[in-house]
Amino acid sequence: MSQTPQADRPQFHEGTGKPRASLEVNPDGVDESELLADIKHWRTGRATRSLGEALSRGYIVLFAMVMFGAMIANVIVTAQVSVSSCSEATCVSARTVLPWAAVAFAVAVALFMSRLFGPVVASAAEGFWLMDAPVRRGRLLGKRLYAVVIVVTLVGAALAALVTALSGASPAAIVMWTAASGLAAGASVAFAAAQQSNHDNRLVRVMAGLFAMVTLAAMLLVVAVAAEWVQPPAIEDKSFLIALIVATAGLVVGVLSLIIARVRLDRLRRQRLTSGGSLVSGLSGAMYALDLGLMNDILNERRFTEMGNVRVKTAAGVGLTTIIVRDVLRLVRSPQPLLLFVVSIVVPYVLDSLGLSAIAAPLSAIALMAAVLPLLSGLRVFSRSGGMARSLPFSPGQIKRASIALPAILCIIWAFAIFPAYLGFGGAVQRTIPEALVVSELVAAAGLLGAVRWTIAKPINFSAPMVATQAGAMPPGMITNLVRGFDIALLITVPLVFNLPWWVSLAIAVICGIVLLGSFNMAEMQHRAKQQQAEMERLKTGRGRYF
Amino acid sequence: MAKKREPVLKTSGLTRKFGDFTVLDQVNLEVFAGEAVALTGRNGAGKSTLLRLLVGADQPDEGTIEVNGSPMFETSAKIRRDMAVVIDDLDFFPDLSVVEHLDLLARAHGLADPDAVVDEVLHEVQLVPQSGQLPGTLSSGQRRRLALATAFVRPRKLLILDEPEQRLDVDGVGWLAERLVAERQQGLAIVFASHEPHLVETVATRIVNLGGGVGGESTPTGDGPQPGQVQSKNVQKTGAGQNKSGQKPRISKKGGRR
Repeated sequence: MSQTPQADRPQFHEGTGKPRASLEVNPDGVDESELLADIKHWRTGRATRSLGEALSRGYIVLFAMVMFGAMIANVIVTAQVSVSSCSEATCVSARTVLPWAAVAFAVAVALFMSRLFGPVVASAAEGFWLMDAPVRRGRLLGKRLYAVVIVVTLVGAALAALVTALSGASPAAIVMWTAASGLAAGASVAFAAAQQSNHDNRLVRVMAGLFAMVTLAAMLLVVAVAAEWVQPPAIEDKSFLIALIVATAGLVVGVLSLIIARVRLDRLRRQRLTSGGSLVSGLSGAMYALDLGLMNDILNERRFTEMGNVRVKTAAGVGLTTIIVRDVLRLVRSPQPLLLFVVSIVVPYVLDSLGLSAIAAPLSAIALMAAVLPLLSGLRVFSRSGGMARSLPFSPGQIKRASIALPAILCIIWAFAIFPAYLGFGGAVQRTIPEALVVSELVAAAGLLGAVRWTIAKPINFSAPMVATQAGAMPPGMITNLVRGFDIALLITVPLVFNLPWWVSLAIAVICGIVLLGSFNMAEMQHRAKQQQAEMERLKTGRGRYF
Repeated sequence: MAKKREPVLKTSGLTRKFGDFTVLDQVNLEVFAGEAVALTGRNGAGKSTLLRLLVGADQPDEGTIEVNGSPMFETSAKIRRDMAVVIDDLDFFPDLSVVEHLDLLARAHGLADPDAVVDEVLHEVQLVPQSGQLPGTLSSGQRRRLALATAFVRPRKLLILDEPEQRLDVDGVGWLAERLVAERQQGLAIVFASHEPHLVETVATRIVNLGGGVGGESTPTGDGPQPGQVQSKNVQKTGAGQNKSGQKPRISKKGGRR
């Protein structure tokens, strides 16, 4: 390592004459593990208790977690024993196909999250203080890489264990598919880490898309078998072998990718590392405040900042129409939300084929709500700060209604696409065609209004007086904020679950629509009421108006 | 008899408190067409608070606000049509480019030839090279220029700006001053808060200094109005905004403390 040039540097401080400290560097270089040990020492040195002490104080929480965990495990085991004896086509297809879906889903999600965050990340502080120094980044970040791969492997394994157990697979198949899913998910993260040093991460994006397609195809196959359109694939007896092959492939790919990723860590650019770290810190801040809307905004902002430039599309129309046209152009530019929309169409059919028709309405509404949310990005900007909406010569209600016009049209199409599921696709619930149409429209309305509620809800007000709870002081609305959107979707569809007349759900939907899509502004209404009251007081006392 | 001119903006007894702290105390203000009122004062004097009340982003504890004779309601489409606002709460669509933002506004306001207006304003704010860029990639200065462009790309009778000179370079401030003078001369009413002496000096027909000061005290001479004083460029010296002594001076065009 070269020495810092000292020739031009004054050797003594002006005025005091004291000798300056030397800037000569250690010829042995930097020991990164020492640096990490120093950081750990400084951090843990300020800790007031150890992990064991903290856990011992939270023993009630631990007991509760163990109890709930045991209850959940009991439910899963009971379900596995019960379903494993089912030999109907739907059960066979579920046992055969759903493990594939679980593996593909785990890999798709792992790839997606890896592309979003890194998967190797560094905080902005680490980027500034450490990455600019002449250190080997591989040694600094190696443990982090291994930790990410291990965690994702465990999560992928848990997912497959749950799915295969609930679908009634044999214990041997459960174990093998668990291993397959875990190793496949871990391998995908290692692969993404190996690609992270490439500026262009299209390969990871494409692979995430492919595995998402496989997941969708698997779900569709389950539906097709339930509808008796196809026979279940006769591979149940080969399930163990297939899982073994997937697990082996995952292990080989994972190890190779991990080696390459570790070697390439030294080549990772600071910006590539810290962009994920900044995203993590932003999201964690939003998560701490339980502000899901803010999390969504952060992700959206990042996505389009990365995009940078677009081909300009000039809108048409004037007035409110231009808002609708702009939403259409926005969808043409980024059609990915349509994919989610299509996937959500599958959900009612899957639920019906699995014999869950009784609760298909609320679950379908929630699936639609998730699909509609990306289509409401315009409404989100109009509602979150008020500045943009204030620039337009329309009332808030007009802006809201114009902003949901396109999603509403898509929801109507969605309703027509899913109504066969409410006719009794899998044979569980039978309705007439008009009834099925009405129910599907109500479910669509529930999903749309739930998404609107989620989008326009205000964040938690931490400056308001706190509410005392068993868990300590909480700002009002903290818990309800978590379920915003879901509350509306369930409110409209729960009457259908209890076989109440459809007009009950319709009435609730209409009321929700009026409240959500009107120009009500609580603060303004309160202010007007206050003004009127003050005016009344003045008239009573005969003081007249201000002047 | 000459018809009495109605103010474009009128506040009466405007008061805003945060807990026990009174930021604005009985502020009376009238702004007529062709006038530009500059709000000056130290940090925390209440400039931004007053502007937020004027645009409906906040609610006063007492007092009334009227825009063109109608009570100020933030949700009123008519008021939104007349009032162009650039304060700190402007947000951008992350997936719409610079020119698409302006196009949306122009068309939403029903302009007959939105393309021409948008092109002209883009040239003015010097964002033509950034037309196709998404807001997340703009520098802070460019975002400020885009925010200012939103005010000029649609019809307006009243313009409200909060420290519009922020993040602008020297040329940008010069352009902004010229543009606001032109707008004022065309009959627009302007209320803006600013720390930029050149902008205030060039654009304002009246200066309201908020925060501190006691009404009636003699103030040392200086280059600008002292706290508690309103300086009018048409040699009309009037009282100032809120003060700590409990006195409630009023601000009016006719001049003189009341």
